[in-house]
Amino acid sequence: MGLRHYPSMLGVTLLAVLSLPAVLTSEAGSTAGPDIARGQALAGGECAGCHGADGNSEIPTFPKLAGQHVVYLLKELNDYNQAHRASDIMQPMAASLSEQDKLDIAHFYARQKPAPGTVAKPELLALGKQVYLEGNSKNGVPSCDGCHDEDGAGSGKFPRVAGQHPEYLLEELQRYASGKRSHGTRVMRTVAERLTPEEAEAVSQYMASLE
Amino acid sequence: MKQATMTCRPLLISLLLLAAGPGLAGSADPGSQPVREDELTVLLSMPGDPQRGQESYRLCRGCHKADGSGKAEAEYPQLAGQHARVLLKQMADVRAGRRDSPKMNPFIEHGEVSSQELADIAAFLENLPVPSAIGLGDGRQLELGKHLYLRDCASCHGPNGEGDGQRFYPRVAGQHYPYLYRETLESRDRGRRNANPEMVRVLKHYVDSDIAAVSDYMARLRPAKP
Repeated sequence: MGLRHYPSMLGVTLLAVLSLPAVLTSEAGSTAGPDIARGQALAGGECAGCHGADGNSEIPTFPKLAGQHVVYLLKELNDYNQAHRASDIMQPMAASLSEQDKLDIAHFYARQKPAPGTVAKPELLALGKQVYLEGNSKNGVPSCDGCHDEDGAGSGKFPRVAGQHPEYLLEELQRYASGKRSHGTRVMRTVAERLTPEEAEAVSQYMASLE
Repeated sequence: MKQATMTCRPLLISLLLLAAGPGLAGSADPGSQPVREDELTVLLSMPGDPQRGQESYRLCRGCHKADGSGKAEAEYPQLAGQHARVLLKQMADVRAGRRDSPKMNPFIEHGEVSSQELADIAAFLENLPVPSAIGLGDGRQLELGKHLYLRDCASCHGPNGEGDGQRFYPRVAGQHYPYLYRETLESRDRGRRNANPEMVRVLKHYVDSDIAAVSDYMARLRPAKP
């Protein structure tokens, strides 16, 4: 099959090459570097109402964005546009932002200092730590530190979870498990499906306790 | 999308091909081909970058651990020092549905990791030192294990369990006993669908305790790293 289609693929490649200048032009608008001051000004408007002026939201169901990774923030903003992540609040807001807006806002939040989290149920921390660092191999739950690091710092597309609101974390795990949040892939959905309700709550508390 | 372009514009494509000549033949990106059954060929054609692989390997660490040592009691295999070609074949087989791995399946889907990332991960793992703490069996049947191994296994997996990347025979030395036991048992009982038919034929005559003995022997092998 590969051989039979090969000449046609070449043609397609050529067509792509011929239209390259147009692609470059259309992307040129988004390749300017991030403007932190502009990001701060933009975030100070509608975002700050829920996420806090410095990205340290005080409302437990709205995530803290301070210190979050740029790659992850951009991915999430784009996921709202693609409906991988349903939210009546965030979807229209994300849709109204230009590529440059998103870049500036993401870089602004990434540079803010995350505030420590609040643990509401310290009695769950021991189980939470076990789940976070060991997973649960009986149910095929990988340990969380594999992607999100031992200290919860994460990297790139893997979000920082340290100090996040436990209420938000638990809600997101539940949304993954029920298919309301997907990322377009099955990884977190699978993890969330395999966690018991008690494990999900405990690991949310443990992530909130990380600094 | 490509299909539509292909069928609608045969004349244009032919003209473009004539104009292009053979020089562009190498420019088609094999990673973008939708031909899944050929994934191993694609993977093997990609030079793996161990440094990039270390970052992409994050996705695997939750089970296989940062040092590649896996988890003996969970039957998660040890991957450090395994031949890259063996890792690629097994990953391609899982992706293509030729090997069942329900726990791992969602983590290796297209869209989650690219073919290039798999090539990088394999290159990273191949270069890791084999960890010393390995899950072992009870050590009671090592003489039998050695006898069976040298008679039936060594010709492919190497006298010291070093395996053979060229021929996709895994390194078995220093692999966790519980994983070796499970996989060998599954191969005999046809649960591991991508098992080498020759190996399945040999294993037909093995009882469970033979498999336990040879698995324990393999886990304890320690070839000198070339």
